[in-house]
Amino acid sequence: MRARDAGLAGCHTCGLVLHLPASGHTHCPRCGADMHFRKVNSVSTTWAFLLAAMIAYLPANLYPVMTVTSFGKAQSDTIMSGVMYLFLHGDWPLALIVFVASVLVPLLKMLALVYLLVSVQRRSHMRKQQRIRLYRIVELVGRWSMVDIFVVALLAALVNVGAIATIEPGVGAIAFTVVVILTMFAATSFDPRLIWD
Amino acid sequence: MLPMSERHPHHASYPELLACHECDTLSKIPALKPGRAARCRCCGHVLLRNPKGGLDRPIALYSAAFILLLLSNAFPFLTLEIQGRAEVANIFGASLAMYRAGMAELAVAVFLTTILAPALLITSSLYVLLGVRLRRPLPALRTLLSWISQLEPWVMLDVFMLGVLVAFVKLGNMATMHIGISLFAFVGLILASAAATAAFEPHLLWQRMAYGRARRHAG
Repeated sequence: MRARDAGLAGCHTCGLVLHLPASGHTHCPRCGADMHFRKVNSVSTTWAFLLAAMIAYLPANLYPVMTVTSFGKAQSDTIMSGVMYLFLHGDWPLALIVFVASVLVPLLKMLALVYLLVSVQRRSHMRKQQRIRLYRIVELVGRWSMVDIFVVALLAALVNVGAIATIEPGVGAIAFTVVVILTMFAATSFDPRLIWD
Repeated sequence: MLPMSERHPHHASYPELLACHECDTLSKIPALKPGRAARCRCCGHVLLRNPKGGLDRPIALYSAAFILLLLSNAFPFLTLEIQGRAEVANIFGASLAMYRAGMAELAVAVFLTTILAPALLITSSLYVLLGVRLRRPLPALRTLLSWISQLEPWVMLDVFMLGVLVAFVKLGNMATMHIGISLFAFVGLILASAAATAAFEPHLLWQRMAYGRARRHAG
């Protein structure tokens, strides 16, 4: 039995199950949080975050995330060229992890959210179990994309040894952080219960 | 059909039921043995856990995490040596470098995910756990407890650690790197907070909180 079919809803903050009034909205008596049958405007909010993330995805990959200047020579790195550098000069297991975290995860995450949104809007009954699993993966892996930003921050903090070398974060780093944060918001604003409705 | 239990003047609430957050299926709250978890029979989502060790274990682990958090921010994290010149960095230095490079937005994002969110999560968890354990009606218990689950995705200590490894490889060719005390404390912090999260089930705390002092607008 589904909670909404019984006129009930579980509080998203504390889990208390309540009978909702006709308006479909109340405050949880245990924790005070807003309560609804489903997250309000879940589909359109998720679309909004997702489209904004897609727009930011272009500069995130086209602009350099950092510029290394040593002995007067400047070299800029995008997300992709940073991964390539690791493949060529570092060890490839690490390069693979970074490739997955910073290239594959953001892309697949956005595609997965598009698929989830479209399937919910078309009221699809197909593969509900697989879709809920996909949603869980999307929720879980998104934060790992921040790894590249941390690398840039660490390098910038370590390598400012005066004249020898400087590392400057680039515009791409801001755009990339925006992508990560927006897709995280998109994942939280999506209501997985819609898959089953 | 369903047992009615009026516990609040304007709401019929069913504290004996759980609605799955991911598929909305209703389940009765089961009696769980310590160390067991109940899963939703429809989608397999974990509904409720009953971690071993009651409240004492998460209190101990979060206390350890708190001390390690202080240690990991108090000492050098990494030291870089290029041609005899040494550059010392701590965790805060990562956000500071972003700020100095004119990227205040990134400085905020790095500070939030590596220092502020972990600090808030650890201190508010400790505060709530101690309040419930010592049966003290401390102020803002509910507010902090509802924060905790929302803070979790923004704590990126483990992701930062992967970043440290990558930075190590990238700089390994051009400089000598030394590991500082804080890096060891940081690894301990990741382990302690992961163990603490596993030992902590907010649902059980909510169940132990009385209804009487819920926020005013709840009625």
